Formats: sequence, structure tokens, C-alpha cells
Amino acid sequence: MGGTLLASVSAASASGFQVNLGGQKNIGMGGVGVGLSLDQAAMFYNPGALAMVRDNGVQVGVNAALARSSFRGDNTGIQQSLDNKLVVPFNFYAGFGPKDAKYKFGVAVYTPYGSTLKYADGWEGRYALTEITLQSVYVQPTASYAITPTLSVGAGLMILAYGSVNLQKDLPLPTGPGHITLDGKTKTQFGYNAGIFFKPSDKLSVGISYRSKIDATVDNGSVTYSGLPATGSASAALINRSFTATSFTATLPLPAVASIGIGVMPNEQLTIGLDASLTFWSAYRTLDFGFSGNNGNGTTDGLVGGNNFSTSKRFYQDALAFRLGGQYKVDDKLTVRLGTAYDFSAVKDGYVGPETPDADRVQATAGLSYLVTEHFGVDASFLFEAFRQRTQTQGQLLDNGTTDRVAGTYRTDIFIPGVGLHYKF
Amino acid sequence: MKFFIKCTAPVVGLLGLGLAGCQPDIDAPKVSAGSADFSSYIAIGNSLTAGYSDGGLYREGQLNSYPNILSQQFAQVGGGSFVQPLFTEAQSNGSGYLKLTGFTATGSPVTANVTTSLALRGGTAAAPLYTKFTDPINNLGVPGIRMSDILTPGYGSVAGNPYFERITLDTTPLQTYLQRVQATVASLKPTFFTEWLGNNDVLGYATAGGAASSLTPVATFTTNTGLVLDALVAGGAKGVVSTIPDVTGIPFFTTVGPSFKATLVANSVPGVVALTGAAAGNAASGNRKSIATADIRDASGGRQLFTLTSSAFLGLLGRPTGAPWRYLLAQANQPRAALGPYLTSFGIDTTQAFGATVGNPIPSAFVLDDVEQGLVASATASFNSALTTAATSRNLAIFDANAFFRNVAANGYVANAANNTAGYLSGNLFGLDGVHPTPRGYAVVANEILKVINAKYGSSFQGVNANLYRGVVFP
Repeated sequence: MGGTLLASVSAASASGFQVNLGGQKNIGMGGVGVGLSLDQAAMFYNPGALAMVRDNGVQVGVNAALARSSFRGDNTGIQQSLDNKLVVPFNFYAGFGPKDAKYKFGVAVYTPYGSTLKYADGWEGRYALTEITLQSVYVQPTASYAITPTLSVGAGLMILAYGSVNLQKDLPLPTGPGHITLDGKTKTQFGYNAGIFFKPSDKLSVGISYRSKIDATVDNGSVTYSGLPATGSASAALINRSFTATSFTATLPLPAVASIGIGVMPNEQLTIGLDASLTFWSAYRTLDFGFSGNNGNGTTDGLVGGNNFSTSKRFYQDALAFRLGGQYKVDDKLTVRLGTAYDFSAVKDGYVGPETPDADRVQATAGLSYLVTEHFGVDASFLFEAFRQRTQTQGQLLDNGTTDRVAGTYRTDIFIPGVGLHYKF
Repeated sequence: MKFFIKCTAPVVGLLGLGLAGCQPDIDAPKVSAGSADFSSYIAIGNSLTAGYSDGGLYREGQLNSYPNILSQQFAQVGGGSFVQPLFTEAQSNGSGYLKLTGFTATGSPVTANVTTSLALRGGTAAAPLYTKFTDPINNLGVPGIRMSDILTPGYGSVAGNPYFERITLDTTPLQTYLQRVQATVASLKPTFFTEWLGNNDVLGYATAGGAASSLTPVATFTTNTGLVLDALVAGGAKGVVSTIPDVTGIPFFTTVGPSFKATLVANSVPGVVALTGAAAGNAASGNRKSIATADIRDASGGRQLFTLTSSAFLGLLGRPTGAPWRYLLAQANQPRAALGPYLTSFGIDTTQAFGATVGNPIPSAFVLDDVEQGLVASATASFNSALTTAATSRNLAIFDANAFFRNVAANGYVANAANNTAGYLSGNLFGLDGVHPTPRGYAVVANEILKVINAKYGSSFQGVNANLYRGVVFP
């Protein structure tokens, strides 16, 4: 239950396993927002813009991310379809300030990183990964202050309030395939989100923002197995003594993001935003697991496959993204939106793995808002994202020492319909 | 754009509920034959080509032979039927083979011979005769055959090689292997072939620890290589010639030494005494060899190799015993009465401490020493040079199995995130006899040969998922 409700999108709408679904209005505009002060979602995109948001308000948005992925192995050439998982990233904001005051406070809850993938049973890469769920929920108290009528700053305390990881793969045992599950919750961690917003005229605004890195650390995750030889069978003693670990530690960086954005408002009806952002994925160098505990399978503690640690190369690269979007106010009640974005992959050639089958991506988005009353409105958005087909050969894996993953071709499309409600006062 | 419309329209309408069928498609790789024609394929070779595994030839091994795997890939570009001399389902265990039944308390494997559902039609335990298979066949792999055997009349008679006897027609009982190849080329008109002969021209000598068999003279090997390749290309067929792997990298030689060395070190034993070569003679004849513990090959160094067959007897080190000698005599199908004269001719006294004295040394058959390894290495290099030259002059592709298995022995072989090594039992690639590949090993070989074919003939075959082929299955 918590799984589905709190889950983040399948590595949707940004590079790596980043999720750029901060607000329903922004989603409809290609994900722009750093150079705009549209609504309370400024707390996510650029806290500096919050003080420039005219109204107080509460808003919530929910997205249904439907990822459709396929894989074709380097050998065999059979196309495998991933299970169709539905995940539901969400966002919630509440922003308040005295009327005509220079400052504003707020709280934001959002899901900036996550991934959910489940590969077909018995697929070629089963010994690398069968299933992954990564979730993160940030809670962010935020304050913003307008130094002058054209310049405001803001900052938020990012709290990794909830994070979880569940990784599963098959084990190539000589008695037949076994299975291992690593499951854990992250410790609460802190970071910050800060921004500056400058609006020299009614027709132009500029913003920069920075979200810091948070290391998601799992300290005492559980290690469980299935498919090991039954106790008492001929090979049980020989094989099972290499699988004694009951718990693991691991750290996954949720990297920093620096963004710059421009807003252009040629007239009362039209708003155009252009963002560029850089996600500092190079912080993700290796994925290391340390194992400990003893389930009684053998005399040596903390073994998984005979080792008490594992390390896997990531060596991600910093990833740029460009976003462009606009909205047009048709009348007092209806606003429509369009946008597009291009995300460069965080994963270098030779390093693509099934847990993040990343590739350069192109997005097309649309959205609308309808004001039911003066205070209450509905926002709808739709995002389509196509990953560029990406192939990785066994030769590339060998060259990079990354043969712990599988050679082949990945392709993913993601469809994300979303809906939000907002109340202004 | 078509895709976008097809798949997003229902989304907009139904918020994704109608999306179930909208998986992105990745274009299937195009498989093409390139400049070669795979419509009729034959395979020439020995046990490796036959699919021999776990010390025997049986149906499962045959079905997973590398030629059979290749033929399944060739079928994608018009390859025709590929007939192997398969044992029937009822006689699926063929010659019998070794099966892993469990482990001792210390983790040593316990094996047993499979003796049911065999394909025996007569003969003796020492010289069995197998159920005949006389239909035309594409896989002419004959376990045990050497390059030096291909001109031997009667090699397919009841006094010859039982695996060749099995497929030799009653009408041509004295047909040589080369004649069989020529006849097959004439009748099946192959357009493509694989050839992998020559392993036994070094292997027999090596696995006998230099105590029996012999290395084929290079001149004979070179001549016969030319004859068999000429026969194969006579009809204009293209093909792949494989080189001979370095036999000292196989588990048969690399498994026992390291643990034996560790035991000696733990007990502060400085060295052991072994026989070397095949020549009879007592301790004064110079056929004893002292082996320092440090000179036994393991990961840290050393040269001397111990055979897999020695593992059952090395535990008797330092004790008076005749067991190793009785075992070897039985292996050679000699009567028990021959033991006394044999021991006398080598000046062996079984009341002395085994392996610790010149009076009761470790048998030569259990040790492939540095001198013997030098002879094997030199022969292997000469044979591979002959194979490569012969293949190049006929413009054939070359699968350098020597280089490939050397790399596997050094670095292992990872396929789809599963590790394989040249190690015994858990390495997945070699079967219980420590010499022949498992189905996984044969699948890997097939994949490598496909790469060679792609490179030489501009074809575009994919390999198979090696992980779907078994290694050594533990009970």
C-alpha cells in the first residue's frame, strides 16, 4: 500500500533516476519553473521565487507514471517486455504570508528521485537484476524574502523524510537459480534548496536555484534468499555457507541540481519559460554493499556469494537538461500549456545497467488549468517521454569492467497523466 | 509519429487504462549469411565435436554439441537439417558417463558412473560396442580420434574406435576416417564445415602424464591436416578451422595440485618423489624425479601439474601402499597378475612410503611434469602452426581456441552477468572429467565460432544465451 502511494516514477522525466515532477502546471510546460513564479511549486523549482507568488495557497498533484520498457539481448535477440508497473509520484505545497508582506513561508513535500522496474521472468539479465524499487520523499520547510520589489531570495531545508530501496536478482547457483532480495529504509538526512529570483519588468524574469546532494544511506537493510538448496540436501552445506548475510548497508547519492531559468511574458495571456539544469550525477561512482549478520547457513558471517561486500561501477556523468514551455490564458477560467524537454543521459556508454536503463530522452507535454471558482482550480497535465534506443555490447562491458550487467538494447517510453487541485486565498 | 498517435490517443481519453498493448518495439537484429552459404553444414572433429561430456558420450551432450548449436543458428539463414548420430531416448545414456552424486564432509565431489539406459550392443567393458547409427550424418565427430588416425584402415572396425565403429557402414568396414569425410562431402555436398581435429594428438599423452600414448609427429600432423581440409573444400565449401587449446589450462590438470600443495605446506613436507616418462627401470635408471613442494603449480607459481585422477591417491602420501599401481593397471585393462612383473620392472616396493621414497614414487601417470609440459607445449604450437597455415592457404576462417581458452583460464568468461571460469565443478564450463566442456562450455564455444564466422564471411549471426545451457549441476 505504502509502496504504491509513496512510490516515485520509473526514472521518469529527467536523467538517471531523477524525477522532475514538481508541480502540475510546470509539468504541462516541459518542466520549466526556475525562472517563473507560477504557484506554490516554486518551493521545488526555485525557493527564491516564492516571495513573488501573489497568493497564499495549498495545492496537491498526483501523477500516474506508466513506463513501457523493452529489452533485446545482445545474444538471443529475443525481445523482453518489462512488467507494466504503475507508480504515483506526488507533490504537495502550502505557502503563506501576510498580505503585502515581503516574506513568505511554506512547506513542500515531493518525490525528487525514484525508480521502479520489474523485468520479465527468466530474462537474460536475471543475474544482474530482476526487480528494483527506489523511493524518496523530501519534506521541505521553506522561507522566501523579497529584498526589493524585483529581487527575492529563498531557501528550504530539505529533509529526506522517507526513502526505501528494494533490489532483487537471481543467483546462478549450480543447483539451479536462487533469488536474493535486499530491502531497506533510509536514514533521515538533510540538505538544502536555495534560489534567487529577479524580475526586472512585467515581461521578464530570471532565476537560479540549487538543490544540494543528499546521501540516502541504508544502515540495516534486510537480506533474504529463496531457492537455496534445502537443508539436508547433498549440496546444501557446500553452497549455503556462502550465503550467511542477513543485513546490508549501502549509500546511494541523490545528487545536487543547479538550474537557471528565464521567464518571458510578452503579454497578459502568454508566459514562456526556458530552463537549463545540470544534475551532478558524477557523485555516483560506485554502488557498494556491505554485508553482515549470520542466518546460520555457515560459520563465516556476512557472506553473499562468498563475499562480505560487493561493489559495482557506476561512474555517472553530470547530466544537462533543457526545457521549454509556455502557457496561454484563454480566458479568466481556462489556461492551456505546452512544452518540451531534452535530457542528456547520466550514464556513459558501457555502464548502462538494468537498474537504470538510462538514455537521452525527449519529452512532449501538455496541460491545462480550469478555475472552478475564484479560489479553487483544477490542473491537468500529460507528459510523454521517449528514451532514445540504447545498445550496449558485451565488448563495451568487458572494456569497462562492467560485466555485472547485461549486453543488449533498451528502449523505454513513459506516459504520465497527472492531475492537481489548488486553493488560493 | 504513427506510434505517438496510436498510443497516446487512448491515453488522453482513458488516462492510460487502454495502454496495455503499447510496448515500444526494438527492431529485431537482421541475421544474414554474408558471403557464405550455410544450406548444408558438416562438422568434422573428435569428442569436442561429438558433444562428449562428463567422461562419456550421451544424448544430452550430443544435443548440446557446438555443431548442433551452430546448426540452429544457421537454420535462420537457410541452413538445412543437421543430423547427428544421436543415441535414442531409450538408450539416452549412450556410453555411460560420470554423474555428481554428492560431496564428502570436506567438500570433495563424489561421482558415480551412470550404467542404465546405455547404448551397448556387445563387446567387453574394455572394448565396448555401441548401438549402430548408419543413416547419413552431418556431425562426424568421433571421440578419441587423432589427426594421426584419419588414414588408418579398420579404425571403424570392431577392433578400432567404438565411436567410429558405431557410425561406420557395414558395407565399408575398413573405411578410413578420411574416406568417410570424402564420401560425406560427395553425398551431402556441404557448403560449409567446421573442422576441429588434433586435440587428442597431444591430449592422450598429456592426460597420461607422459606415461603412455605419444605425441603425433609434426610431419604426420601437417600432412593429414592438408588431406582432411582438401577433402572438405573439394566441393567449394567454406568453413572454420579450430586450433588446439593449451591442455594444461583445463581442470584435469589445475584442480588437484593447488590443494595438494596446500596440504604439503601445512604439514611442512618439503617435496615428493614421482616417476617421470614411460620408460621402465629402477631408481638408479634416472626415471625418478624429485618435486619440491614449492614447484607444484598453484596461483602463486610452480610448474608441476597433478592429474585429476591422482586425487584419490595423494592422501596415501607417506604410507606403504600398492593401491595407485593396482588402479593404473586396471585402467590399462591389464590382469592383476601383471602387477608383480610391472612393479619389478620399475623397481617399486609397495611397502615403502608412497610418494616419499624412490622405492614407491608417485606414478608418472599422475604428474605432468615440466619436461613433459614442454613437449606438449611444443607439439601444440607446431600443430597450431600447421592448422593455421593450412587454413590460411585455403582461405578458411580460424577459430583460435588456444587463445580463447587461455583467456578463459586467466580471466574467466562472463556472460549476462553470470561468471564462468576454467575451474572444476563450479566453473560451469568444464564437465566432471575435467577435460570436456559442459553444455554451457559448448554454447560458449559455439558463440565464439559464430563471431569468427561473422568476421570472416561478413555474416551477422547472434549467439545463444549461454546461461540457458547448464554447467555442472549439483544434486
